[in-house]
Amino acid sequence: MKQAPANSWRPIDAVEAVVSTVWPRRWRDKIGWPFIAPALLLVGILVIGLGYIIQDSLHELDIATYRLGDDYTLANYGILAQKTVYRTVIGRTLLAAAIVTGVSLFLALPYAYVLTRTSSSAMRKFLLVAIFLPFFIGQVVRAYGWLIILGAKGLVNSLLGLLGIAPLDLLFNYGAVIFGLIQYMVPFAVLLLLPALAAIPEDVELASENLGANWMQTFWHVVLPMARPGLVGASVVVFTLTLTDFATPEILGGGTTDFIANTIYDSFFEISDPGLGSALSVVLVTIGSALVGLVFLALGTGTLDIARHQE
Amino acid sequence: MTGRRGKAIVMWTLTLTSVVMLGLPTIIIIGASFTSGDMIRFPPQGLSLRWYGELLGEVAFRSAFWRSLYVSVICTLISIPIGVLAGLATMRYRLAFGRTIQVYLLLPFTIPLVVSGIGMMLFFGEIRILGSLWPVGVALSVINIPFMIWSVAAAIGGLDPELEDAAANCGARPVQIFFTVTLPAIASGIITGALLMFILAFNEFLVSLLLTDSRTVTLPVQIYNSIRNVITPDLAAVSVVYIVIALVTIWVLDRLAGLDIFLRSR
Repeated sequence: MKQAPANSWRPIDAVEAVVSTVWPRRWRDKIGWPFIAPALLLVGILVIGLGYIIQDSLHELDIATYRLGDDYTLANYGILAQKTVYRTVIGRTLLAAAIVTGVSLFLALPYAYVLTRTSSSAMRKFLLVAIFLPFFIGQVVRAYGWLIILGAKGLVNSLLGLLGIAPLDLLFNYGAVIFGLIQYMVPFAVLLLLPALAAIPEDVELASENLGANWMQTFWHVVLPMARPGLVGASVVVFTLTLTDFATPEILGGGTTDFIANTIYDSFFEISDPGLGSALSVVLVTIGSALVGLVFLALGTGTLDIARHQE
Repeated sequence: MTGRRGKAIVMWTLTLTSVVMLGLPTIIIIGASFTSGDMIRFPPQGLSLRWYGELLGEVAFRSAFWRSLYVSVICTLISIPIGVLAGLATMRYRLAFGRTIQVYLLLPFTIPLVVSGIGMMLFFGEIRILGSLWPVGVALSVINIPFMIWSVAAAIGGLDPELEDAAANCGARPVQIFFTVTLPAIASGIITGALLMFILAFNEFLVSLLLTDSRTVTLPVQIYNSIRNVITPDLAAVSVVYIVIALVTIWVLDRLAGLDIFLRSR
């Protein structure tokens, strides 16, 4: 057997010596800073990018050179406020976000409830895998699946054909986008509702039923109010993810129902006006942050409270 | 409908509706990938592995796959040390402005992806690294780093600090304690986080679309570009690659952390 050399502790001792020279003991209470610094720098890339966007949003496109002018101006924001097309897109996106949030929560609540209450561990695992699988498959692949199902010669229209019904236009419209988004958001909503529902003891529900409430009354008056932190968290996440989504309206909408993100993309790559696209980006961030801020002010931060993670 | 039976019927009907809606695209894609016809039709025409064979011959998909793998590995390698250090810092050391730092570190989740992507596109363009592949890996680390920090922080939260104190009492010095006590104890959290970072980078579409050009497309972007032209079964075969990777990831996550972890009440 090979024996470890007697002085095998030396390399690590050298490292300790270097570390204690570079970072002396008396700075010990500040040791958190070099630890957090890389993460701050990494996220800094994002902040610098935001800086470029704000900067570009304040310069108007010079049609002669197709570059942004040198003068600072609010002209891009003026264009966004004047042209009805931008109001239409923003309105369409907000409406979709509201519908998708409502329907996703309606579907996610019973799902999460069954998941937390079922006594069969196999069923629990099956329901968990059913949420995680689409989550990890990615948006493009999932949208492709819906193209196969809803397309002109797709599964649904073939089945309708067997019944003698003429093919329907199921794709490239607002309904298809909303449907695709709901399917995308349900897993997020379930994951955010699970901790809140798991925290409600079954005894509370039994007590309510003992006192004569039927299950709908119990659900409405006991479970829902107790699940409020989860409901707030899930609504905020689903709403903002829908508000900012790109892939679903792009693939399932086929250019007919652009959302804000698609319009930003087109400003950069179709009409080549980075100023206008940047201004719309700033508007999107503002709308999103303002709505989330209002919800948090009115209803509290729910399960999204960051401080909780520290406890 | 107000009885116990009624409750079971309503709850299970809605749940099964969601299960079908969530699972249908996956099942259809798997089925479509085995067709022997030139088009995806219902009922499918014949059964074959033809499209998997064609896939291996398509250079565009093969090189996009390797690029996606490269980008995801870079993303994961950057995220591990940054996430471990940040997790330690937020859980173990009282930092001034702690609350502000937490809000700042959550920026990748609060800034819309399209805005983050375009911002990094402008920045990378300015410093002339747009068009290389490695910055895409860095960008993917930026947008998902909170997942890594969370996984590590959760693992550190479950580690008794007295273990580290005990090691110190026995004469171990800081670096040795970190590598022999702390690191092994939080290994499962690190692996969970690394796995999340990898799979999310491998799937990521929008930021990759913004940061790549025709020479550097990654697999999700390549799939998207092909969807726009014509829908052939070879896309179903690529998609099955994603489904298999997703299944493996879920299996590993279940072994490591247990999927039940998401049922824990906070």
